[in-house]
Amino acid sequence: MSRKRHRLVSEILGLKRRRERGPVDADPLRGESGSARAAVTELVRLFPRGLFEDELPPIALRSQVYSLVPDRTVADRQLELQEQGEIRVIQLGFDLDAHGIIFTEDYRTRVLKACDSRPCAGAVQKFLASVLPACGGLSFQQDQMTQTFGFRDSEITHLVNAGVLTVRDAGSWWLAVPGAGRFIKYFVKGRQAVLGMVRKARYRELLLSELLGRRAPATVRLGLAYHVHDLIGAQLVDCISTTSGTLLRLPET
Amino acid sequence: MRVLGLELNKDRDIERIHSSGVNTLDIEPVERRYMLSGGSDGVIVLYDLENSSRQPYYTCKALCSIGRNHADVHKYSVETVQWYPHDTGMFTSSSFDKTLKVWDTNTLQTADVFNFEETVYSHHMSPVATKHCLVAVGTRGPKVQLCDLKSGSCSHILQGHRQEILAVSWSPRNDYILATASGDSRVKLWDVRRASGCLITLDQHNGEKSQAAESANTAHNGKVNGLRFTDDGLHLLTVGTDNRMRLWNSSSGENTLVNYGKVCNNSKKGLKFTVSCGCSSEFVFVPYGSTIAVYTIFSGEQITLLKGHYKSVDCCVFQSDFQTKTKSRLNQAFQDAWSSSDEEG
Repeated sequence: MSRKRHRLVSEILGLKRRRERGPVDADPLRGESGSARAAVTELVRLFPRGLFEDELPPIALRSQVYSLVPDRTVADRQLELQEQGEIRVIQLGFDLDAHGIIFTEDYRTRVLKACDSRPCAGAVQKFLASVLPACGGLSFQQDQMTQTFGFRDSEITHLVNAGVLTVRDAGSWWLAVPGAGRFIKYFVKGRQAVLGMVRKARYRELLLSELLGRRAPATVRLGLAYHVHDLIGAQLVDCISTTSGTLLRLPET
Repeated sequence: MRVLGLELNKDRDIERIHSSGVNTLDIEPVERRYMLSGGSDGVIVLYDLENSSRQPYYTCKALCSIGRNHADVHKYSVETVQWYPHDTGMFTSSSFDKTLKVWDTNTLQTADVFNFEETVYSHHMSPVATKHCLVAVGTRGPKVQLCDLKSGSCSHILQGHRQEILAVSWSPRNDYILATASGDSRVKLWDVRRASGCLITLDQHNGEKSQAAESANTAHNGKVNGLRFTDDGLHLLTVGTDNRMRLWNSSSGENTLVNYGKVCNNSKKGLKFTVSCGCSSEFVFVPYGSTIAVYTIFSGEQITLLKGHYKSVDCCVFQSDFQTKTKSRLNQAFQDAWSSSDEEG
């Protein structure tokens, strides 16, 4: 009798272990103690390029980087350094706090392709060649553009029309990605949908493995893993480690 | 590290006098023995924190209070109280009834009253200044008023903000440097001797510093309602309704990019938080809902949440000698003393 029970138990455990390993391998959501750059490379792979017919450069979000690099201050400082070279941080319009991170090379190729045959091409090329490498910041000021880089008002208007600059204040502009409107729409809808999945669960909490295993609702176009990274990093869900894996729970407030 | 071992002190308690929320606390800097509290009912109470009885369990007694039956009591909620920095003979209090009152501690009478046009959110007197007795007052109007205690009048006005001033703080390093935080998302540093405007408007993105940029710079993406210099005056901490806390270099105005994560903040008026002093690595204590969140200032790490109050915490103060931190609660006039376990000494 006891031998039978032992075998049953080990069989069950074996099965469980095999099932466990599946999602664990595909689950990159462990706190990697890597650099911010490695995290961005990783996240950029999650971005669905085909969805936008390759018009948009792959965008990762700052909150996603926080979910992979556990120390936020270190992540912020590394991104600040990287900004000088390979990475640009862009202000995404929907939330002043959400910053998108794009590789400069990708950004440059896509922007040039987007305004290829349009009248604003000249201004855009001048912008990409002179201003982008020189200023690593999120925004640009009027006197900086006109005096230091010699842009005329008409050229600045071309840049705004091309979608490269977005108005921030009188005489001040944010750097922007042309055509990012669609991405932002899918992102906001997808974020609400994934949060809704957690909210509708019993006790408002879900095991991470279970959430990733579910079928994504139709509004989630960017992929569940993409949104989950963002939710964890933006602290919109609390991440609790349990014996059965990571649990996502909505905060009390 | 005694701060790491902070927990609710079961032996020490503070007498309950307030019948409604306590908005502000201040411990006098000379002996660190007396504490003032100001409540939403306009009442101001003075406590003696020292344990003169031999018993381990004691209640900090209220020595005196300015209650509702006092002739000069504030009509509405008291928002800020502060001891006179050089001795305990005097203290100041400001309130929603648009006044700043200067009190004589021994007689508990008002020595002076300053009237303003709008409700007063916050006031602060410089803890180190010897050459001036200016009190900076932040009201619902966009102008910061500086009142001179010696002459009894408002000596000048600092213009530059566009909405209400929610917090003001003098630098503990320099007599004339003042920081102000406003509902227009901006934090400005002023030298009060200069006539031409603020020194720096803090920019959270550390962008280009230029004249035109000054108007677009924001310190937070929401109202900035809390402001505190670190003890050495080299850094400035700000909290905003965008649920963020930021650490700034106070001389250059640069955002040090230390990230504390989400620091929940939905207070419509000021949020009073405090920093430790005298520890090897400094900590900041921020009211977070009904708990107090403790963070290491320079690394941004959240150390712990101190739980013990039943309703939301409004303010806290730090006393380094016994490592106690008293805090207060909205709607239940309760003040708890927290201490690390090896407190007696």
